[in-house]
Parts: sequence; C-alpha cells; structure tokens
Amino acid sequence: MIVKIACEDNSPAKGLQQFFKQLLEMETIDALFLPVRLKASHSIMPSLVTDPERIADAVPLSPAFPINSARMVSRLSYKTSGRKTAVVLRPCEMRAFIELVKLKQGAKDELILIGMDCPKALTASDYTAYMKKDPLDDDAYIDAIFTKTSDTINGFDFSSACKTCDNPFPINTDISILLHGVDLSDGLMAESCSDMGSQVLERLKLPEATIPEKRDERMMQIKAAHSTANLSMIEQIGAKTDSIANLNTFFAQCINCYNCRNMCPVCYCKECVFNTDVFYHQPVQYHQWSEKKGLIKMPTDTVFYHLTRMAHMSHACVGCGQCSNACPSDINVFELFKSVAHTTQAAFDYQPGMNENNPPPLSVFHEREFEDIVGII
Amino acid sequence: MEKFEPVIIAFVCNWCTYTAADLAGTSRLAYPTNIRLIRVMCTGMIDPQYVIKAFLEGADGVLISGCHPGDCHYMNGNYKARRRIKLLQAILPKFGIERTRLRLTWIGASDGIEFAEVMTRLNDQIIEMGPSQTRKSQAI
Repeated sequence: MIVKIACEDNSPAKGLQQFFKQLLEMETIDALFLPVRLKASHSIMPSLVTDPERIADAVPLSPAFPINSARMVSRLSYKTSGRKTAVVLRPCEMRAFIELVKLKQGAKDELILIGMDCPKALTASDYTAYMKKDPLDDDAYIDAIFTKTSDTINGFDFSSACKTCDNPFPINTDISILLHGVDLSDGLMAESCSDMGSQVLERLKLPEATIPEKRDERMMQIKAAHSTANLSMIEQIGAKTDSIANLNTFFAQCINCYNCRNMCPVCYCKECVFNTDVFYHQPVQYHQWSEKKGLIKMPTDTVFYHLTRMAHMSHACVGCGQCSNACPSDINVFELFKSVAHTTQAAFDYQPGMNENNPPPLSVFHEREFEDIVGII
Repeated sequence: MEKFEPVIIAFVCNWCTYTAADLAGTSRLAYPTNIRLIRVMCTGMIDPQYVIKAFLEGADGVLISGCHPGDCHYMNGNYKARRRIKLLQAILPKFGIERTRLRLTWIGASDGIEFAEVMTRLNDQIIEMGPSQTRKSQAI
C-alpha cells in the first residue's frame, strides 16, 4: 500500500519528522535509528532514539554521510535485544546491511527497515566546508535535490560515489519513503514493501495515494546518468592504475592506517589478517628485504594490503564511498575499488545487497562452472 | 641478451599434483627447474593473498594445481580454489598482470608424465610472455 505523508507548513523535513515521531509512539516500536543533528556541533550523526521528543532534531534527508550505518545496525542486531527498532537507511547502507545479514553479522528479525530515495551526499571534507559556508535549511536542500534536481549544492559537487551510484533507490525495505517525481508541496509518500510494513502503515491511518507517473521516468533518467558517469570514471581510473608502477604512484601517500578498511561496511572479518602477527614482521625480516632490494618503503606491504582487500571484499562493495572519506591522505580509494568491484561483480554476476537470497560468490561453488579457466593448452 | 629464466611459483595439493610430481621424480622425468613447488594440503587453502604476494615479489607466473573435480581429498577444496582463481583473474589484469600468468590445472596422483609435460608447456609459455613487470618496479 502507498500512503501520503502530509507536511506541516509545507515542510517535507517536518512532515518526515512527524511521521517518524508517530512511528516511535507506536507501542510495537521501541526505538528509531536515524540521522540526528547533534546540538553541540550541528553535525548530523546516526543515532538511536527512544524519546519521541528528540525526533525534532532528526534530519533523515541531508548531504551529511559521516559513516555507513550498516555497521551500526549490525551492532544493534547481531544478537537479540528484545526490542523492536525501526532503522532509516540510505540505499547503499541498506545494501551493505543485507550483505552483513548474509554473513550472519546482523539480523532483520527485530528490525523494521525503512529506506528512501537517496538524498545524495557531499564528501566528508566538503560537508564540513558546506556547513561553515552557507548551508541550505533542510527543506531547501530537499527541494534542491528532489524538485529542482540540482547537480551541485551551493557550489559543492556531490561525492563521486553518489554520482556513479548504481541504485540510489530504496531496496529490500519494509517501508520506502518516495520523493522522486512526487509533488513535495503536496506531501511525501510512503510505500509498504512487506507484510510488516503494511501493518505499520495501516495503523498510522494515513490517506492512500498512488505513485505519480513521472516517478519511473525520473528514476530511469537518474540511472542512465549515473551509469554514464560510472563507466567514464572506471575508464579514467583504469588508465591511471594500469600497472604496478602506476599503482605505486596512486598509493604513494598511503600511510597504512587501514581507515579505508575500518570504515568499509562490508570488510567483515572480525580480525583482519593485516592486524595479525603475519604482518608484524621480525626486525631481521625488514633488514633482509632491504638487503635484497636495496630499499624498502616503510610501512611495508601497502600495495599488497590494497590488492588483498580487493580480493576479499570487492565482490560485496556497495559503492558507498566511505573508504575515500576515511582516507587522511586524500587518496581516491573509492574510485579504484569501485572499478575493481565492477569487474569482480560481473565475473560472478553478483549484485551485492540487491537480493538477500543470493549467497556471496565466494561462499558457494558448483560442480560445473568456470571450466574455461582450467588447464594449460 | 641473457636468456630469460622465469620464476614460476606452483602451489600444488598434497594428494594429487604433489604426488604426481613425486611420481615424475621417481620415474626420472625431467621438468624445468624454474618451477618452484609449494606443497599445500589442498588447493582450497590457498588464500588469494598468497598469489598476490608471489606476483608482487616478482614471480613471472603462478600455477595452482590440484585434484580433478570430484577427486578432492576434502570433498570440495578444488571447487573453492577455482572460484578464487576466477576472482584473481578478474582483478590482476587491471594492474597489468596478465590473466595467463595465473593458471589453474587439475593433475591427478597417477599423472606423472602429464605433470612433467604441463610444467614444460607452462614454462615455455611464460618465457614467451617475458618477464613480469614486478621484476623492474617493486611494489611499495
């Protein structure tokens, strides 16, 4: 079912807050997980809210994307809490969470998954500058993205992850908030995508609505533009990193801080091999390497680390761009990993996070497959 | 010009290909000394990072060789290895490490002659391809 969310004072931001407040006041929902503006700093961070009054600070649609919340929802759900939580996630966060569910690092049992048309995001550093300069108010931002369909915001370009996103629309949700193609002056729309979602929406007793015809057209336009941007990005980054020597140049500023791994929602190992004794080499080992090669850069194993990470997680990469956000050396990790992910996901015909029933490609095998890669002629 | 002697790292499983190598040895069959065997219990235990490390350290070729489908001592290790090779063959060519430098074969325990032949052919093919780029540009 599809319902209309009326907007008080013609403000979609307030309309959404009202909607979420009603959800949190329901007896069956104990907590709400969504981005909230922190009073101390005006930064917007994902938060677990239990007091309905605190929803007044919630900002579910903004250009702030400090962390991929899939990691946080995993923390909230990997074991039972005895509480029902509604979580509001961007599409890339939802896809990452579905990957974590497949890996048993999160569970949907006690969650109500609420997705939305993606409000896009600025890079972390651009967002800081945008906040200092002249940020739009929440409604003006929503208007700029969904009604005026702006390509930039106050002179800031959206992150390359958002511009090349394969699927910036709600997927695998119980309830989806629809904005593209919807006349926002008349209110927002919510669609139930599961039985649980329908039960929730029915209780709210909101007026029914129908999906506007222009929504499909708008979605097709966005997909086409993103696909073009994606292919051109892959081509450019491919030319820059087509040899180990060029890869050395690309990662020249890497300091092996592993932030890209720590912020990656699908880098799921509890203990990463790069944190183990395997890479805590003996002093004599470094000397032997240096004696053999004349020079070794320290810390060592930089390119080795990135290539290993590609082999471990690129098939599950949802393209959220948090690896680039996390890089203190401003290396465009995202663009490289997305281009590798494009190839590895095609090799296994796998789309991460799109279908919960498709197992991760390296967790299964078939007796007869890939026979063309075997043998020496 | 000095003759190019490639370095080829071969990860071979204990139960099939290593046994075949043993048979080749006891049968006094020669195969190129450029190939350095690393015995592992099963091809299913070869983490992609072993292969990546070998290439970054200057290997000109890497071979993974195990039991024929259905013959794995651990039921399905070779099927897992096949998926991992598929994955690496998607990643490595993006960085100029040609797909054909990483090979996968099944050589059964009784195939000593086949083992020697395959190693010779592999060595010839890698010589034809020339040295790997990582010999010149060491990865940071």
